[in-house]
Amino acid sequence: MFLELKGITKSYGTGENRVEVLKGIDLGVEQGEFCVLLGPSGSGKSTLLNIIGGIDEADSGEIAIKGEPMSSMNDKALTLYRRNHLGYIFQMYNLIPDLTVRENIEVGAFLSKAPLDIDELLETLGLKDHQDKLPSQLSGGQQQRTSIGRAIIKNPDILLCDEPTGALDSVTSREILRLIETVNLKYGNTVIMVTHNNEIRNMADTVVRLRDGMIRDIIKNERRTPAAELEL
Amino acid sequence: MMRNPLGKRLKRELLNSLGKYLTLFLLMTLSIGFVSGFLVADNSMILAYADSFEKYNIEDGHFTVQKKLNKAQIRRIEQEGISVFENFYSDIPFDNGTRIRVFQVRDQVNLICLMEGEMPVSEDEIAIDRMYADNNHLKPGDRLSGAGKEWTVSGLIALSDYSCLFENNNDTMFDSIQFGAAAVSPSAFEKLPADNMKHCYAWKYDEPYEDDVQQKKMADDLLKRLSPLVRLEDYVPRYQNQAIMFTGDDMGSDKAMMETLLYIIILILAFVFAVTINDTISRESAVIGTLRASGYTKAELIRHYMTMPLLVTLCSAAAGNLAGYTFMKEVCAGMYYGSYSLPTYVTIFNSEAFLKTTFIPVIIMLGVTYFSLRRKLRFSPLAFLRHDISGKKKGKAVKLPHALPFLSRFRMRIILQNAGSYLVLAAGITFANVLLLFGLALPSLLECYQELVTENMIAKYQYLLQIPVSALDEDQKLNSMIHMMMYAANAETDNPNAEKFSAYSLKTVETEGFRREDILFYGISENSRYIPLSPQDGEVYISSAYAEKYSLQAGDVISLEEAYEDRRYDLEVTGVYDYQSAVCVFMNRKTLNRMFDLGENIYSGYFSDTEITDIPEEYIGSVIDFSSLTKLSRQLDVSMGSLMNMVDVFSVIMFVVLIYILSRIIIEKNAQSISMTKILGYTDREVTRIYMRATTVVTILSLTLSIPAVWYVLRIIFRIMLAEMMSGWIPLIVKKDVFVKMLALGFASYGAVALLEYRKITSIPMDQALKNTE
Repeated sequence: MFLELKGITKSYGTGENRVEVLKGIDLGVEQGEFCVLLGPSGSGKSTLLNIIGGIDEADSGEIAIKGEPMSSMNDKALTLYRRNHLGYIFQMYNLIPDLTVRENIEVGAFLSKAPLDIDELLETLGLKDHQDKLPSQLSGGQQQRTSIGRAIIKNPDILLCDEPTGALDSVTSREILRLIETVNLKYGNTVIMVTHNNEIRNMADTVVRLRDGMIRDIIKNERRTPAAELEL
Repeated sequence: MMRNPLGKRLKRELLNSLGKYLTLFLLMTLSIGFVSGFLVADNSMILAYADSFEKYNIEDGHFTVQKKLNKAQIRRIEQEGISVFENFYSDIPFDNGTRIRVFQVRDQVNLICLMEGEMPVSEDEIAIDRMYADNNHLKPGDRLSGAGKEWTVSGLIALSDYSCLFENNNDTMFDSIQFGAAAVSPSAFEKLPADNMKHCYAWKYDEPYEDDVQQKKMADDLLKRLSPLVRLEDYVPRYQNQAIMFTGDDMGSDKAMMETLLYIIILILAFVFAVTINDTISRESAVIGTLRASGYTKAELIRHYMTMPLLVTLCSAAAGNLAGYTFMKEVCAGMYYGSYSLPTYVTIFNSEAFLKTTFIPVIIMLGVTYFSLRRKLRFSPLAFLRHDISGKKKGKAVKLPHALPFLSRFRMRIILQNAGSYLVLAAGITFANVLLLFGLALPSLLECYQELVTENMIAKYQYLLQIPVSALDEDQKLNSMIHMMMYAANAETDNPNAEKFSAYSLKTVETEGFRREDILFYGISENSRYIPLSPQDGEVYISSAYAEKYSLQAGDVISLEEAYEDRRYDLEVTGVYDYQSAVCVFMNRKTLNRMFDLGENIYSGYFSDTEITDIPEEYIGSVIDFSSLTKLSRQLDVSMGSLMNMVDVFSVIMFVVLIYILSRIIIEKNAQSISMTKILGYTDREVTRIYMRATTVVTILSLTLSIPAVWYVLRIIFRIMLAEMMSGWIPLIVKKDVFVKMLALGFASYGAVALLEYRKITSIPMDQALKNTE
């Protein structure tokens, strides 16, 4: 198993205010798999994604990537883990306002020893003509495409997407999902995407449905619906 | 290896915030430039000064005798291991109201540096001291009258044994305005009136001494062996000669102060940068979270955010040093040339100055920004993504009483939100206030002193009598007895205002942090109308200036010693007499005469409110009047006046820069909220009242409340400075208007900045609140 989670629990707050966000998650993801974490607000999906991404810590349980347990990693090792294996895409694009599109993508490339070809990627992302623009000159969709570029240029093993279309209209959302799909197919990265949009589940290999911090069920799609066909 | 693309932000960040970085750069460049220029000039001057001892063969000391020594006497004296050189002079009053000490052009010791024009050749030519010339607006070719003839200034010179123009070695301060030194040709010198001639001999040891201790011992030994050979009127080894040594002592002493000043300024600017960076990090919180989540290390981000402050510091150091080696050096050298008659100097590259003005500022900047960044970046990537990096527990707002009007609470929230910025602002304002008050207070201090002297004079004139040389000639006892009797008869005055007093002078013992000085003891007559003190037998009163300078009070013991004898006096202070013009001691005449074995009826001078005209001039050693009492303040005014103006300008610049940058940060930080309040319908004026009033309150409070602390600190600085710099004392009193001026300048600086910031607030568009800020 490429990514393996066993008995992950997480809670916030203390005493009366204590909220159990994750109550023992067991999950395995194969290399190159497109996995969707689906659930309503407060189901714990973003927390789970952050724990996989090494930016949040589980209270108990084990998480291992390629057999290497994350619990043994200190802060520095975790940073290195993220640097070498992960790409992040957020709902808000979090681009650096005074860097151009190309430079924002280079921010990701800098972290990799063997980054993808930036010009080819700009082409794939449809940003070739916008590469010298600043984020403030772009539409929401273009900004999100830039943030995808930043995440995947280092060709990460796992692409973590936290509601990547949450702030976009349906046309742009479809466009972004198509892009993530293309990346997944073209470069073979494992994609774990958090969403509350039920329709998006159809484009995944695996759908993990969460509710109240627990996995309700795990559905394996026999056929992935292309993003272009999704009815968002 | 790919270069970190974050570096590409720097140029844009620089262009976007050009005003902010430019002002910081200018302030830092100005500070570094000034200190670099000062250190380079100081060092070059010190080296030129140190070299001058050998280059101009400066004496190891000099002594004055009553009559010219004959060859046999000189041979005998030279057997004591020294070579003796004639260094005669005559103090001549000139028609411009000044006195010039005229020497013959020297060719063996105490050589002269010609700085402009020519050395005197013909009998009516005179080369005058360069600084005396500057202060009296004289130049080569000008004419002067003195000693019964007309002279032409042939050139401007620096006499190596008069780098500081002390007329008498005991003077509290040098006087480069009313006193000068000059050289004339040997033939012109021979024709000077003989009655005024001082028979001064410079000496050089045959075997040079190795250190200060040996120098002192050799001088002490020599004095003991010379005393039986000749009757000395004056004996001044080089290390005691203020005209030679004062310059060197003073030049080194300002260095530490200048460096400290620079480091404090850099420290404040480093905190300004830290506030700026903290603000940037708060604004870019989500970006930082994303970068950290993507695998950027803390170290990479720290490096990135540190680059700009370091770059600005390095550029400032480079520009500052460039300025330091060029025009700032000239400015600082000019300050020295304004106080001292130094020979010409050569600029010497000073690696220490470079280190201190480049390396240390960079280290300070590095240290402050690094620790501030480490603190700020300690949060997890997730905390950055959630904008949860204030370090405070969420939801715990400081409680403000509801009774306060809404706008006041709003403003207080802004102050609390920007506590860090306001703290730096308050510290910066306080520091700028110290500088400003320093610049404003010194002239006021001198002015107050002059007024105090006027009001506080014991008498308009104090005549100190001197027994003529001829009355002390032991070779011709009969003759000297006649002269002594004549003196006794003629030194009496008929002036009804005159009141006799006896006087004696002792030196203070070596005390850490104080220059050794002569203390004049007054033995006052019974029921004196000039000093209504009536001391009883054995009582010792000190002047209030003495008490203030040495922090003394009744019951304390003062230790003093004879200048040329190994005799020490420990005297208990009976009380303090309110006299601010001089550091001196009062007792009754009988006690003084007995204490110093002067003979019961001996008196040394007169107090008088009217001029005494019936005593021959030769019996009057010196007159203490307004002009001589204010010599100190006059000279300080000339020496430090220009520096004080520079300090004033600098402090105002510092005010403006600090207030500008910090209030700008606060406005930028709140741009989103400002935009939102505008959408809600607040007018520009109301928004300004909310967001600027908070800054106004902090500025005004800092300006006003810091005054007592600033004045307290400054009194300590002045106390240390004055005690080390000079003998005598200037009471630490300034006029109230200094504080008014200080506040006015502070408020005016703030007013100018507030206008700029008002424009900034009005220019924030309403749609800013609607934009995605990341």
